[in-house]
Amino acid sequence: MDYSNLRRQAASLKKGLFDQGHLDEQFRQVEDLQDEASPNFVEEVVVVFFKDSGRLITNLEQALEKYPRDFNRWDAYMQQLKGSCSSIGASRMKNECMSFRDSCGQRNVEGCMGSFQKLKREHAVLRQKLESYFQLLRQAGPAGAATRPVM
Amino acid sequence: MGAMGEDQRERMEDATVDKFPEGLRVLAVDDDCVCLNVLEALLRRYIYHPTMAMDAKTALKMLRTGKVKFDLVITDVRMPYMDGFKLLELTGLEMDMPVIMLSVDCDKKVVLKGINHGACDYLVKPVYTNDLKNIWQHDKSRRRSQAISHMGRDNAVDERVHPGTLAMSKDSKNKRNNEYHSNKNTESTHSSTTQKSQGWHGQLSFITSF
Repeated sequence: MDYSNLRRQAASLKKGLFDQGHLDEQFRQVEDLQDEASPNFVEEVVVVFFKDSGRLITNLEQALEKYPRDFNRWDAYMQQLKGSCSSIGASRMKNECMSFRDSCGQRNVEGCMGSFQKLKREHAVLRQKLESYFQLLRQAGPAGAATRPVM
Repeated sequence: MGAMGEDQRERMEDATVDKFPEGLRVLAVDDDCVCLNVLEALLRRYIYHPTMAMDAKTALKMLRTGKVKFDLVITDVRMPYMDGFKLLELTGLEMDMPVIMLSVDCDKKVVLKGINHGACDYLVKPVYTNDLKNIWQHDKSRRRSQAISHMGRDNAVDERVHPGTLAMSKDSKNKRNNEYHSNKNTESTHSSTTQKSQGWHGQLSFITSF
């Protein structure tokens, strides 16, 4: 298996995520925290992130239907989600959270719904790309190689 | 501990930063798992000994049992059941403990509320490396204050006599923000960075107008 090619693909995938604004500098900080003591830290945090954010999105979706125009409730969910997004560097998702919250402040239901749809799409895209990224890294080499963040 | 090598590297790279004490015991409280995981890793990077709690009630229990003598608490503002302000209030009443507030937003009202409740600092998520490098100074400032008050001086003097620490005087906060600016990568596309530091400067000018 051509490990260097796989690593190149992983690097390219990651670069694309940065260039297109899906990820920001915070993701690099998270990568920087990975070391010999916690060699799978980035992937572990990403897994937790998608689990938590998936749950929050589901809850919010239900709330949007069950509690119409309950902007305070909707905003509370989004505030939580924004926190997770900013901790991991999920930049586009974070921006949609902020748009949604702005719409809540303006009591603009359409704005909220629009942002929410974008948020869900971005969530799905980011999840799929990061899953591919980590899969490539796993294929690219033994555990030792995986601890070095792919530049 | 595997982190020793990193510690040495960090110290060599950042000769301008004061030497910080190893083993500062930090209690970090946040119901957001992602943030908590990242925060824990960050704290470990600086050889702080973090204990994590996902809610204020658990945190309070840990503080009260006294099994571990914490030096510092970092708490999220918004949590279900008991929020960061309540935790701040109770720790203020029951124990002498520096508390740093942590929030998604840099809302002026919330920042002021934190300060009025006795928070010694206010950080906006995501927490940056540079934010945590210096938090030990809150503990140092507190210890100094305690030492001085034991010498019988008026407590009100304490906050003005420590220019080198991150006590709550506005000058030291300005200094910290300047360091923050110079250390941060200026090409960062992280929009909340600018937002955060501008917001904080906004708070400072508001506060100094008192």
